Amino acid sequence: MLALTLFVFAPLAQTVLISFFEWNLVSPQRHFIGLENYTAIFSDPGFVGVIGQSFAYMALALIGNFALPVGLALLTLQLPEREAELFQSLLFVPAVVAVSIGVLVWSWFYLPAGGLFNVALGALGLPQPAWLTDPGLALPAVSLAANWKFLGFNYLIALAGLRAIPREYLEAARVDGASGARLIFRIVLPLFGPSALFLLVSTLLQSLEQVFVPIEVLTVGGPAGATTNLMYSVYQEGFKFFRAGRAAAESVLLIALFAGLIVWQFRMFERRVAYDR
Amino acid sequence: MTAERKSGRLEAVSRKRPSRAKRGVWTARAALSVAALLMLLPLLYQVGLSFKAPGDIFVNPLNPFPFAPTFENYAVVLRSLPMGLYFVNSLLFALGVTFGQIALAIPAAFALAHGRFAGRQVALALVLLSMMIPFVITYVPNYLTVASWGLIGTLPGMILPLLGSGYGIFLLRQHFASFPVSILEASRVDGANSLQTLWLVLVPANRAALTSLFVYLMIQSWNQLIWPQLIGSRESSFTLTVGVQRFANGEGGTSWGPMMAAAVLASLPTVVLYLIVRRGVLTTFSDGAVKG
Repeated sequence: MLALTLFVFAPLAQTVLISFFEWNLVSPQRHFIGLENYTAIFSDPGFVGVIGQSFAYMALALIGNFALPVGLALLTLQLPEREAELFQSLLFVPAVVAVSIGVLVWSWFYLPAGGLFNVALGALGLPQPAWLTDPGLALPAVSLAANWKFLGFNYLIALAGLRAIPREYLEAARVDGASGARLIFRIVLPLFGPSALFLLVSTLLQSLEQVFVPIEVLTVGGPAGATTNLMYSVYQEGFKFFRAGRAAAESVLLIALFAGLIVWQFRMFERRVAYDR
Repeated sequence: MTAERKSGRLEAVSRKRPSRAKRGVWTARAALSVAALLMLLPLLYQVGLSFKAPGDIFVNPLNPFPFAPTFENYAVVLRSLPMGLYFVNSLLFALGVTFGQIALAIPAAFALAHGRFAGRQVALALVLLSMMIPFVITYVPNYLTVASWGLIGTLPGMILPLLGSGYGIFLLRQHFASFPVSILEASRVDGANSLQTLWLVLVPANRAALTSLFVYLMIQSWNQLIWPQLIGSRESSFTLTVGVQRFANGEGGTSWGPMMAAAVLASLPTVVLYLIVRRGVLTTFSDGAVKG
Protein backbone atom coordinates (compact mmCIF):
# COMPACT_ATOMS: atom_id res chain seq x y z
CA MET A 1 0.00 0.00 0.00
CA LEU A 2 2.85 2.32 0.83
CA ALA A 3 4.42 1.68 -2.55
CA LEU A 4 1.10 2.31 -4.26
CA THR A 5 0.71 5.60 -2.45
CA LEU A 6 4.23 6.68 -3.15
CA PHE A 7 4.41 5.76 -6.82
CA VAL A 8 0.82 5.87 -8.05
CA PHE A 9 -1.48 8.03 -5.95
CA ALA A 10 0.99 10.73 -4.87
CA PRO A 11 2.08 11.20 -8.50
CA LEU A 12 -1.57 11.42 -9.46
CA ALA A 13 -2.14 14.30 -7.05
CA GLN A 14 1.11 15.91 -8.14
CA THR A 15 -0.04 15.71 -11.75
CA VAL A 16 -3.26 17.57 -11.04
CA LEU A 17 -1.23 20.22 -9.23
CA ILE A 18 1.32 20.61 -12.03
CA SER A 19 -1.48 21.07 -14.54
CA PHE A 20 -2.04 24.57 -13.17
CA PHE A 21 1.55 25.64 -13.71
CA GLU A 22 3.84 26.57 -16.53
CA TRP A 23 6.97 24.57 -15.98
CA ASN A 24 9.75 22.95 -18.00
CA LEU A 25 10.37 19.99 -15.66
CA VAL A 26 13.88 21.05 -14.57
CA SER A 27 13.84 24.70 -13.69
CA PRO A 28 13.19 25.48 -10.01
CA GLN A 29 10.76 28.18 -11.07
CA ARG A 30 7.15 27.36 -11.72
CA HIS A 31 4.57 29.94 -12.70
CA PHE A 32 1.03 29.52 -11.51
CA ILE A 33 -1.17 30.17 -14.53
CA GLY A 34 -4.49 28.73 -13.42
CA LEU A 35 -6.45 27.10 -16.18
CA GLU A 36 -4.30 28.45 -18.99
CA ASN A 37 -2.84 25.04 -19.83
CA TYR A 38 -6.34 23.76 -20.39
CA THR A 39 -7.43 26.64 -22.59
CA ALA A 40 -4.16 26.33 -24.51
CA ILE A 41 -4.59 22.66 -25.38
CA PHE A 42 -8.19 23.12 -26.45
CA SER A 43 -7.40 26.01 -28.76
CA ASP A 44 -4.61 23.96 -30.36
CA PRO A 45 -6.03 22.29 -33.51
CA GLY A 46 -3.29 19.64 -33.24
CA PHE A 47 -4.62 18.60 -29.86
CA VAL A 48 -8.18 18.40 -31.10
CA GLY A 49 -6.84 16.04 -33.76
CA VAL A 50 -5.18 13.99 -31.01
CA ILE A 51 -8.56 13.52 -29.32
CA GLY A 52 -10.12 12.37 -32.59
CA GLN A 53 -7.24 9.97 -33.21
CA SER A 54 -7.61 8.56 -29.69
CA PHE A 55 -11.20 7.66 -30.48
CA ALA A 56 -10.11 6.19 -33.83
CA TYR A 57 -7.65 3.91 -32.00
CA MET A 58 -10.40 2.90 -29.58
CA ALA A 59 -12.75 2.05 -32.44
CA LEU A 60 -10.11 -0.04 -34.20
CA ALA A 61 -9.29 -1.82 -30.92
CA LEU A 62 -12.97 -2.71 -30.59
CA ILE A 63 -12.80 -4.51 -33.91
CA GLY A 64 -9.35 -6.06 -33.62
CA ASN A 65 -9.11 -6.66 -29.89
CA PHE A 66 -12.72 -7.20 -28.89
CA ALA A 67 -14.93 -8.47 -31.72
CA LEU A 68 -12.21 -10.60 -33.31
CA PRO A 69 -10.96 -12.36 -30.14
CA VAL A 70 -14.52 -13.00 -28.94
CA GLY A 71 -15.32 -14.52 -32.33
CA LEU A 72 -12.22 -16.69 -32.18
CA ALA A 73 -13.10 -17.77 -28.64
CA LEU A 74 -16.61 -18.79 -29.75
CA LEU A 75 -15.05 -20.86 -32.52
CA THR A 76 -12.60 -22.43 -30.07
CA LEU A 77 -15.47 -23.66 -27.92
CA GLN A 78 -16.58 -25.89 -30.81
CA LEU A 79 -13.34 -27.85 -30.67
CA PRO A 80 -12.27 -30.74 -28.44
CA GLU A 81 -10.18 -29.85 -25.39
CA ARG A 82 -6.77 -30.80 -26.80
CA GLU A 83 -7.17 -28.87 -30.02
CA ALA A 84 -8.54 -25.87 -28.14
CA GLU A 85 -5.45 -25.91 -25.96
CA LEU A 86 -3.16 -26.00 -29.00
CA PHE A 87 -4.83 -22.94 -30.53
CA GLN A 88 -4.67 -21.10 -27.21
CA SER A 89 -0.95 -21.70 -27.00
CA LEU A 90 -0.34 -20.62 -30.60
CA LEU A 91 -2.50 -17.50 -30.54
CA PHE A 92 -0.85 -16.35 -27.31
CA VAL A 93 2.75 -16.46 -28.56
CA PRO A 94 2.89 -12.85 -29.88
CA ALA A 95 1.70 -11.65 -26.47
CA VAL A 96 4.87 -13.00 -24.87
CA VAL A 97 7.27 -11.06 -27.09
CA ALA A 98 8.14 -7.49 -26.11
CA VAL A 99 5.98 -4.98 -27.98
CA SER A 100 8.97 -2.94 -29.08
CA ILE A 101 10.72 -6.03 -30.39
CA GLY A 102 7.70 -7.66 -32.04
CA VAL A 103 6.79 -4.46 -33.85
CA LEU A 104 10.24 -4.10 -35.45
CA VAL A 105 9.33 -6.62 -38.14
CA TRP A 106 6.20 -4.59 -38.94
CA SER A 107 8.36 -1.63 -39.86
CA TRP A 108 9.81 -3.91 -42.52
CA PHE A 109 6.35 -5.14 -43.58
CA TYR A 110 5.29 -1.51 -44.11
CA LEU A 111 8.35 -0.40 -46.15
CA PRO A 112 7.08 1.51 -49.17
CA ALA A 113 9.54 -0.24 -51.48
CA GLY A 114 10.59 -3.82 -50.83
CA GLY A 115 8.40 -4.30 -47.76
CA LEU A 116 6.29 -7.43 -47.50
CA PHE A 117 2.88 -5.77 -47.96
CA ASN A 118 3.82 -3.73 -50.99
CA VAL A 119 5.66 -6.58 -52.68
CA ALA A 120 2.54 -8.70 -52.22
CA LEU A 121 0.26 -5.91 -53.48
CA GLY A 122 2.60 -5.29 -56.42
CA ALA A 123 2.48 -8.96 -57.37
CA LEU A 124 -1.30 -8.68 -57.49
CA GLY A 125 -1.06 -5.54 -59.62
CA LEU A 126 -2.53 -3.31 -56.88
CA PRO A 127 -1.34 0.17 -55.85
CA GLN A 128 1.44 0.24 -53.27
CA PRO A 129 0.82 2.92 -50.65
CA ALA A 130 3.41 4.46 -48.31
CA TRP A 131 1.85 2.92 -45.22
CA LEU A 132 3.54 4.84 -42.43
CA THR A 133 3.94 8.23 -44.10
CA ASP A 134 0.43 8.53 -45.55
CA PRO A 135 -1.56 10.46 -42.92
CA GLY A 136 -4.71 8.47 -43.69
CA LEU A 137 -3.10 5.04 -43.53
CA ALA A 138 -0.52 5.46 -40.78
CA LEU A 139 -2.99 5.26 -37.89
CA PRO A 140 -4.71 2.03 -39.00
CA ALA A 141 -1.28 0.59 -39.81
CA VAL A 142 0.04 1.32 -36.31
CA SER A 143 -3.18 0.04 -34.79
CA LEU A 144 -2.98 -3.21 -36.73
CA ALA A 145 0.50 -3.96 -35.37
CA ALA A 146 -0.72 -3.27 -31.82
CA ASN A 147 -3.85 -5.37 -32.31
CA TRP A 148 -1.69 -8.25 -33.49
CA LYS A 149 0.47 -7.99 -30.39
CA PHE A 150 -2.38 -7.91 -27.87
CA LEU A 151 -5.03 -10.15 -29.44
CA GLY A 152 -3.83 -13.16 -27.45
CA PHE A 153 -4.63 -11.65 -24.02
CA ASN A 154 -8.19 -10.73 -24.90
CA TYR A 155 -8.78 -14.02 -26.64
CA LEU A 156 -7.84 -15.89 -23.45
CA ILE A 157 -10.03 -13.66 -21.31
CA ALA A 158 -12.98 -14.07 -23.68
CA LEU A 159 -12.50 -17.82 -23.69
CA ALA A 160 -12.39 -17.97 -19.89
CA GLY A 161 -15.56 -15.89 -19.67
CA LEU A 162 -17.38 -18.15 -22.11
CA ARG A 163 -16.26 -21.27 -20.30
CA ALA A 164 -17.53 -19.96 -16.99
CA ILE A 165 -21.10 -20.19 -18.28
CA PRO A 166 -22.70 -22.99 -16.22
CA ARG A 167 -23.17 -26.16 -18.19
CA GLU A 168 -26.71 -26.70 -16.90
CA TYR A 169 -27.96 -23.63 -18.78
CA LEU A 170 -26.61 -25.00 -22.03
CA GLU A 171 -28.05 -28.44 -21.35
CA ALA A 172 -31.44 -26.96 -20.58
CA ALA A 173 -31.35 -24.98 -23.81
CA ARG A 174 -30.42 -28.11 -25.70
CA VAL A 175 -33.31 -30.03 -24.16
CA ASP A 176 -35.54 -27.20 -25.35
CA GLY A 177 -34.24 -27.78 -28.85
CA ALA A 178 -31.80 -24.87 -29.32
CA SER A 179 -28.66 -25.48 -31.33
CA GLY A 180 -25.97 -23.84 -33.46
CA ALA A 181 -26.31 -20.13 -34.10
CA ARG A 182 -29.49 -19.85 -32.03
CA LEU A 183 -27.75 -21.38 -29.04
CA ILE A 184 -24.90 -18.89 -29.40
CA PHE A 185 -27.02 -15.78 -29.89
CA ARG A 186 -29.87 -16.55 -27.52
CA ILE A 187 -28.08 -18.31 -24.67
CA VAL A 188 -24.31 -17.97 -24.76
CA LEU A 189 -23.89 -14.30 -25.63
CA PRO A 190 -26.48 -12.97 -23.12
CA LEU A 191 -24.90 -15.03 -20.33
CA PHE A 192 -21.48 -13.84 -21.46
CA GLY A 193 -22.70 -10.23 -21.08
CA PRO A 194 -21.05 -9.23 -17.79
CA SER A 195 -17.62 -10.58 -18.63
CA ALA A 196 -18.00 -9.23 -22.17
CA LEU A 197 -18.68 -5.81 -20.72
CA PHE A 198 -15.58 -6.10 -18.55
CA LEU A 199 -13.54 -7.10 -21.59
CA LEU A 200 -15.05 -4.31 -23.66
CA VAL A 201 -14.19 -1.62 -21.14
CA SER A 202 -10.70 -2.92 -20.51
CA THR A 203 -10.14 -3.05 -24.28
CA LEU A 204 -11.13 0.61 -24.48
CA LEU A 205 -9.05 1.56 -21.44
CA GLN A 206 -6.00 -0.28 -22.71
CA SER A 207 -6.30 0.65 -26.38
CA LEU A 208 -4.42 3.93 -26.00
CA GLU A 209 -1.68 2.34 -23.92
CA GLN A 210 -1.27 -0.65 -26.21
CA VAL A 211 -0.53 1.45 -29.29
CA PHE A 212 1.93 3.56 -27.32
CA VAL A 213 5.06 1.54 -28.04
CA PRO A 214 4.01 0.75 -31.64
CA ILE A 215 3.65 4.52 -32.19
CA GLU A 216 7.08 5.10 -30.68
CA VAL A 217 8.69 2.38 -32.80
CA LEU A 218 6.86 2.84 -36.12
CA THR A 219 6.02 6.53 -36.53
CA VAL A 220 7.04 8.52 -33.40
CA GLY A 221 3.59 10.09 -33.64
CA GLY A 222 4.00 11.27 -37.24
CA PRO A 223 3.40 12.02 -40.05
CA ALA A 224 2.63 15.51 -38.73
CA GLY A 225 1.10 14.12 -35.56
CA ALA A 226 -1.36 11.90 -37.45
CA THR A 227 -0.73 8.83 -35.29
CA THR A 228 -0.43 10.53 -31.88
CA ASN A 229 -3.04 9.68 -29.27
CA LEU A 230 -3.80 11.27 -25.91
CA MET A 231 -1.42 9.06 -24.01
CA TYR A 232 1.47 9.47 -26.43
CA SER A 233 0.84 13.20 -26.43
CA VAL A 234 1.22 13.34 -22.63
CA TYR A 235 4.57 11.59 -22.98
CA GLN A 236 5.70 13.87 -25.80
CA GLU A 237 4.73 17.06 -23.99
CA GLY A 238 6.44 15.91 -20.82
CA PHE A 239 9.61 14.22 -21.98
CA LYS A 240 10.23 15.57 -25.48
CA PHE A 241 8.94 19.16 -25.37
CA PHE A 242 9.44 19.58 -21.60
CA ARG A 243 6.09 21.27 -21.10
CA ALA A 244 5.17 19.62 -17.82
CA GLY A 245 2.13 21.83 -17.27
CA ARG A 246 0.55 20.90 -20.58
CA ALA A 247 1.44 17.24 -20.11
CA ALA A 248 -0.27 17.31 -16.73
CA ALA A 249 -3.35 19.07 -18.11
CA GLU A 250 -3.62 16.42 -20.82
CA SER A 251 -3.17 13.74 -18.14
CA VAL A 252 -6.10 15.13 -16.22
CA LEU A 253 -8.25 14.89 -19.36
CA LEU A 254 -7.06 11.34 -19.88
CA ILE A 255 -8.05 10.43 -16.32
CA ALA A 256 -11.44 12.07 -16.85
CA LEU A 257 -11.97 10.00 -19.98
CA PHE A 258 -11.02 6.80 -18.17
CA ALA A 259 -13.15 7.64 -15.15
CA GLY A 260 -16.08 8.24 -17.50
CA LEU A 261 -15.62 4.83 -19.07
CA ILE A 262 -15.41 3.11 -15.70
CA VAL A 263 -18.50 4.85 -14.37
CA TRP A 264 -20.33 3.86 -17.56
CA GLN A 265 -19.26 0.25 -16.96
CA PHE A 266 -20.68 0.25 -13.43
CA ARG A 267 -23.92 1.81 -14.63
CA MET A 268 -24.27 -0.97 -17.18
CA PHE A 269 -23.57 -3.57 -14.51
CA GLU A 270 -26.25 -2.19 -12.24
CA ARG A 271 -28.77 -2.36 -15.04
CA ARG A 272 -28.08 -6.05 -15.44
CA VAL A 273 -28.47 -7.14 -11.80
CA ALA A 274 -31.31 -9.43 -12.80
CA TYR A 275 -28.69 -11.85 -13.99
CA ASP A 276 -27.06 -13.57 -11.05
CA ARG A 277 -23.87 -15.52 -11.52
CA MET B 1 -14.54 -24.21 -11.00
CA THR B 2 -12.18 -26.32 -13.08
CA ALA B 3 -14.62 -29.16 -13.51
CA GLU B 4 -17.31 -26.74 -14.49
CA ARG B 5 -15.09 -25.08 -17.02
CA LYS B 6 -14.05 -28.36 -18.59
CA SER B 7 -17.57 -29.59 -19.02
CA GLY B 8 -19.21 -26.34 -20.03
CA ARG B 9 -18.51 -26.87 -23.69
CA LEU B 10 -20.68 -26.25 -26.65
CA GLU B 11 -19.75 -29.28 -28.70
CA ALA B 12 -21.33 -31.53 -26.11
CA VAL B 13 -24.48 -29.52 -26.52
CA SER B 14 -24.80 -29.54 -30.27
CA ARG B 15 -24.05 -33.24 -30.54
CA LYS B 16 -27.71 -33.90 -31.26
CA ARG B 17 -27.35 -33.10 -34.94
CA PRO B 18 -24.12 -34.76 -35.93
CA SER B 19 -23.81 -33.50 -39.52
CA ARG B 20 -24.31 -29.86 -38.59
CA ALA B 21 -22.13 -30.08 -35.53
CA LYS B 22 -19.40 -31.72 -37.55
CA ARG B 23 -19.50 -28.98 -40.14
CA GLY B 24 -19.26 -26.47 -37.31
CA VAL B 25 -16.16 -28.16 -35.95
CA TRP B 26 -14.46 -28.08 -39.34
CA THR B 27 -15.33 -24.44 -39.90
CA ALA B 28 -13.95 -23.57 -36.47
CA ARG B 29 -10.82 -25.63 -37.11
CA ALA B 30 -10.18 -23.96 -40.47
CA ALA B 31 -10.83 -20.43 -39.22
CA LEU B 32 -8.64 -20.88 -36.15
CA SER B 33 -5.84 -22.39 -38.20
CA VAL B 34 -5.85 -19.36 -40.49
CA ALA B 35 -5.89 -17.05 -37.45
CA ALA B 36 -3.01 -18.90 -35.79
CA LEU B 37 -1.00 -18.78 -39.01
CA LEU B 38 -1.56 -15.03 -39.40
CA MET B 39 -0.60 -14.47 -35.77
CA LEU B 40 2.62 -16.43 -36.10
CA LEU B 41 3.59 -15.10 -39.53
CA PRO B 42 5.24 -11.87 -38.30
CA LEU B 43 7.40 -13.89 -35.92
CA LEU B 44 8.23 -16.34 -38.68
CA TYR B 45 9.38 -13.49 -40.93
CA GLN B 46 11.38 -12.05 -38.05
CA VAL B 47 13.28 -15.28 -37.53
CA GLY B 48 13.61 -15.83 -41.29
CA LEU B 49 15.04 -12.36 -41.92
CA SER B 50 17.55 -12.83 -39.13
CA PHE B 51 19.08 -15.75 -41.06
CA LYS B 52 19.08 -14.08 -44.47
CA ALA B 53 22.31 -12.74 -45.95
CA PRO B 54 22.23 -8.92 -46.42
CA GLY B 55 21.84 -9.28 -50.21
CA ASP B 56 18.97 -11.75 -49.92
CA ILE B 57 16.56 -9.68 -47.84
CA PHE B 58 14.92 -7.91 -50.76
CA VAL B 59 15.40 -10.66 -53.34
CA ASN B 60 12.18 -12.50 -52.63
CA PRO B 61 10.57 -10.84 -49.61
CA LEU B 62 7.44 -12.98 -49.69
CA ASN B 63 9.42 -16.09 -48.82
CA PRO B 64 10.15 -15.99 -45.10
CA PHE B 65 12.75 -18.74 -45.35
CA PRO B 66 16.36 -17.92 -46.19
CA PHE B 67 17.82 -19.70 -49.25
CA ALA B 68 21.23 -19.94 -47.67
CA PRO B 69 20.92 -19.53 -43.90
CA THR B 70 23.71 -17.50 -42.39
CA PHE B 71 24.73 -16.63 -38.86
CA GLU B 72 26.39 -13.45 -40.09
CA ASN B 73 23.64 -11.18 -38.74
CA TYR B 74 24.03 -12.68 -35.29
CA ALA B 75 27.79 -12.21 -35.49
CA VAL B 76 27.29 -8.54 -36.42
CA VAL B 77 24.93 -8.00 -33.48
CA LEU B 78 27.19 -9.70 -30.98
CA ARG B 79 30.18 -7.69 -32.29
CA SER B 80 28.52 -4.29 -32.20
CA LEU B 81 26.26 -4.56 -29.16
CA PRO B 82 27.14 -5.63 -25.60
CA MET B 83 24.26 -8.10 -25.60
CA GLY B 84 25.66 -9.85 -22.52
CA LEU B 85 25.49 -6.64 -20.50
CA TYR B 86 21.97 -5.86 -21.77
CA PHE B 87 20.92 -9.38 -20.88
CA VAL B 88 22.24 -9.06 -17.32
CA ASN B 89 20.52 -5.66 -16.94
CA SER B 90 17.23 -7.03 -18.25
CA LEU B 91 17.51 -9.99 -15.91
CA LEU B 92 18.30 -7.86 -12.84
CA PHE B 93 15.57 -5.39 -13.73
CA ALA B 94 12.96 -8.10 -14.28
CA LEU B 95 13.97 -10.04 -11.15
CA GLY B 96 14.00 -6.87 -9.05
CA VAL B 97 10.55 -5.79 -10.20
CA THR B 98 9.14 -9.29 -9.89
CA PHE B 99 10.49 -10.17 -6.44
CA GLY B 100 9.81 -6.68 -5.14
CA GLN B 101 6.20 -6.71 -6.31
CA ILE B 102 5.59 -10.21 -4.96
CA ALA B 103 7.22 -9.43 -1.61
CA LEU B 104 4.94 -6.42 -1.20
CA ALA B 105 1.88 -8.14 -2.64
CA ILE B 106 1.89 -11.17 -0.31
CA PRO B 107 1.34 -9.30 2.99
CA ALA B 108 -0.94 -6.74 1.33
CA ALA B 109 -3.08 -9.48 -0.23
CA PHE B 110 -3.22 -11.31 3.12
CA ALA B 111 -4.42 -8.21 4.92
CA LEU B 112 -7.03 -7.50 2.24
CA ALA B 113 -8.29 -11.07 2.18
CA HIS B 114 -8.31 -12.04 5.86
CA GLY B 115 -7.42 -8.99 7.91
CA ARG B 116 -10.04 -7.19 9.95
CA PHE B 117 -9.45 -3.48 9.94
CA ALA B 118 -11.42 -0.36 9.23
CA GLY B 119 -11.22 0.79 5.65
CA ARG B 120 -10.49 -2.61 4.17
CA GLN B 121 -13.01 -2.11 1.40
CA VAL B 122 -11.58 1.32 0.67
CA ALA B 123 -8.08 -0.12 0.49
CA LEU B 124 -9.25 -2.81 -1.91
CA ALA B 125 -11.00 -0.22 -4.06
CA LEU B 126 -7.77 1.83 -4.16
CA VAL B 127 -5.84 -1.23 -5.30
CA LEU B 128 -8.34 -1.79 -8.11
CA LEU B 129 -8.29 1.89 -9.01
CA SER B 130 -4.49 1.91 -9.21
CA MET B 131 -4.68 -0.73 -11.94
CA MET B 132 -6.72 1.62 -14.09
CA ILE B 133 -4.41 4.63 -13.95
CA PRO B 134 -2.48 4.93 -17.21
CA PHE B 135 1.24 4.65 -16.68
CA VAL B 136 2.24 7.83 -18.54
CA ILE B 137 0.47 9.91 -15.93
CA THR B 138 2.77 8.74 -13.18
CA TYR B 139 5.92 8.95 -15.30
CA VAL B 140 6.66 12.66 -14.93
CA PRO B 141 6.22 12.76 -11.14
CA ASN B 142 8.04 9.45 -10.68
CA TYR B 143 10.87 10.68 -12.86
CA LEU B 144 11.19 13.69 -10.56
CA THR B 145 11.13 11.47 -7.47
CA VAL B 146 13.83 9.21 -8.87
CA ALA B 147 15.86 12.25 -9.89
CA SER B 148 15.58 13.74 -6.41
CA TRP B 149 16.97 10.50 -5.01
CA GLY B 150 19.86 10.72 -7.47
CA LEU B 151 18.98 7.37 -9.02
CA ILE B 152 18.68 8.35 -12.71
CA GLY B 153 20.63 5.92 -14.85
CA THR B 154 20.65 3.20 -12.22
CA LEU B 155 18.81 -0.08 -11.88
CA PRO B 156 17.25 0.78 -8.48
CA GLY B 157 15.87 3.94 -10.06
CA MET B 158 14.29 1.82 -12.77
CA ILE B 159 12.94 -0.80 -10.38
CA LEU B 160 11.61 1.11 -7.35
CA PRO B 161 8.75 3.09 -8.95
CA LEU B 162 7.42 -0.05 -10.61
CA LEU B 163 6.90 -1.73 -7.22
CA GLY B 164 3.72 0.27 -6.77
CA SER B 165 1.46 -2.09 -8.67
CA GLY B 166 -1.99 -3.33 -7.83
CA TYR B 167 -2.10 -6.33 -10.16
CA GLY B 168 -0.19 -8.76 -7.95
CA ILE B 169 -2.01 -7.65 -4.82
CA PHE B 170 -5.37 -8.13 -6.46
CA LEU B 171 -4.55 -11.50 -8.02
CA LEU B 172 -3.16 -12.91 -4.76
CA ARG B 173 -6.03 -11.49 -2.74
CA GLN B 174 -8.46 -13.38 -4.96
CA HIS B 175 -6.54 -16.60 -4.34
CA PHE B 176 -6.07 -16.00 -0.60
CA ALA B 177 -9.72 -15.09 -0.14
CA SER B 178 -10.87 -18.39 -1.61
CA PHE B 179 -8.73 -20.30 0.92
CA PRO B 180 -10.89 -21.96 3.60
CA VAL B 181 -11.02 -19.77 6.70
CA SER B 182 -11.39 -22.84 8.95
CA ILE B 183 -7.82 -23.93 8.19
CA LEU B 184 -6.53 -20.46 9.05
CA GLU B 185 -8.49 -20.59 12.31
CA ALA B 186 -7.05 -24.02 13.05
CA SER B 187 -3.50 -22.75 12.64
CA ARG B 188 -4.35 -19.84 14.91
CA VAL B 189 -5.70 -22.21 17.54
CA ASP B 190 -2.46 -24.18 17.23
CA GLY B 191 -0.67 -21.03 18.32
CA ALA B 192 0.58 -19.58 15.06
CA ASN B 193 0.58 -15.79 14.82
CA SER B 194 -0.70 -14.21 11.63
CA LEU B 195 2.76 -13.93 10.07
CA GLN B 196 3.37 -17.62 10.65
CA THR B 197 -0.07 -18.44 9.25
CA LEU B 198 0.79 -16.44 6.15
CA TRP B 199 4.24 -17.91 5.51
CA LEU B 200 3.65 -21.48 6.66
CA VAL B 201 0.07 -22.04 5.50
CA LEU B 202 -1.16 -19.58 2.88
CA VAL B 203 2.00 -19.10 0.85
CA PRO B 204 2.79 -22.80 0.40
CA ALA B 205 -0.86 -23.54 -0.38
CA ASN B 206 -0.86 -20.95 -3.15
CA ARG B 207 2.46 -21.94 -4.68
CA ALA B 208 0.87 -22.45 -8.10
CA ALA B 209 -0.65 -18.98 -8.18
CA LEU B 210 2.62 -17.46 -6.98
CA THR B 211 4.60 -19.28 -9.66
CA SER B 212 2.25 -18.05 -12.36
CA LEU B 213 2.40 -14.52 -11.02
CA PHE B 214 6.18 -14.77 -11.00
CA VAL B 215 6.29 -15.85 -14.64
CA TYR B 216 3.76 -13.22 -15.67
CA LEU B 217 5.65 -10.41 -13.94
CA MET B 218 8.99 -11.62 -15.30
CA ILE B 219 7.68 -11.53 -18.86
CA GLN B 220 5.95 -8.18 -18.38
CA SER B 221 8.94 -6.44 -16.85
CA TRP B 222 11.41 -8.06 -19.24
CA ASN B 223 9.37 -6.51 -22.06
CA GLN B 224 9.14 -2.98 -20.65
CA LEU B 225 10.58 -0.31 -22.88
CA ILE B 226 9.47 3.26 -22.09
CA TRP B 227 10.29 3.47 -18.39
CA PRO B 228 13.72 1.78 -18.57
CA GLN B 229 14.44 4.01 -21.56
CA LEU B 230 13.62 7.16 -19.59
CA ILE B 231 15.61 6.23 -16.51
CA GLY B 232 18.34 4.04 -17.98
CA SER B 233 20.02 6.86 -19.80
CA ARG B 234 23.53 5.38 -19.77
CA GLU B 235 24.60 2.40 -21.82
CA SER B 236 25.70 0.61 -18.64
CA SER B 237 22.06 0.39 -17.55
CA PHE B 238 20.40 -0.41 -20.90
CA THR B 239 18.09 -3.39 -20.87
CA LEU B 240 17.72 -5.60 -23.94
CA THR B 241 14.62 -3.77 -25.13
CA VAL B 242 16.30 -0.38 -24.76
CA GLY B 243 19.54 -1.54 -26.36
CA VAL B 244 17.80 -3.14 -29.33
CA GLN B 245 15.58 -0.08 -29.76
CA ARG B 246 18.61 2.23 -29.82
CA PHE B 247 20.25 -0.04 -32.36
CA ALA B 248 17.10 -0.06 -34.53
CA ASN B 249 16.83 3.74 -34.37
CA GLY B 250 20.51 4.28 -35.07
CA GLU B 251 23.17 2.22 -36.74
CA GLY B 252 20.94 -0.82 -37.34
CA GLY B 253 18.12 1.24 -38.84
CA THR B 254 18.36 -0.09 -42.34
CA SER B 255 20.29 -3.29 -41.80
CA TRP B 256 17.26 -5.49 -41.37
CA GLY B 257 19.18 -8.73 -40.91
CA PRO B 258 21.10 -7.68 -37.81
CA MET B 259 18.06 -5.81 -36.46
CA MET B 260 15.96 -8.96 -36.64
CA ALA B 261 18.80 -11.04 -35.19
CA ALA B 262 18.94 -8.68 -32.22
CA ALA B 263 15.15 -8.91 -31.92
CA VAL B 264 15.25 -12.70 -31.93
CA LEU B 265 17.97 -12.77 -29.27
CA ALA B 266 16.03 -10.34 -27.09
CA SER B 267 12.75 -12.27 -27.26
CA LEU B 268 14.30 -15.73 -26.89
CA PRO B 269 14.33 -15.74 -23.04
CA THR B 270 10.63 -14.88 -22.62
CA VAL B 271 9.51 -17.23 -25.38
CA VAL B 272 11.52 -20.08 -23.84
CA LEU B 273 10.12 -19.27 -20.39
CA TYR B 274 6.61 -19.24 -21.88
CA LEU B 275 7.11 -22.60 -23.58
CA ILE B 276 8.30 -24.16 -20.32
CA VAL B 277 5.41 -22.96 -18.17
CA ARG B 278 2.79 -22.42 -20.87
CA ARG B 279 -0.18 -23.93 -19.11
CA GLY B 280 0.37 -22.02 -15.86
CA VAL B 281 0.62 -18.71 -17.68
CA LEU B 282 -2.52 -19.33 -19.68
CA THR B 283 -4.61 -20.15 -16.61
CA THR B 284 -3.26 -17.19 -14.62
CA PHE B 285 -4.41 -14.78 -17.27
CA SER B 286 -7.86 -16.25 -17.59
CA ASP B 287 -8.42 -16.88 -13.85
CA GLY B 288 -7.54 -13.34 -12.96
CA ALA B 289 -10.06 -12.12 -15.48
CA VAL B 290 -12.95 -14.31 -14.44
CA LYS B 291 -12.51 -13.83 -10.74
CA GLY B 292 -12.31 -10.10 -11.32
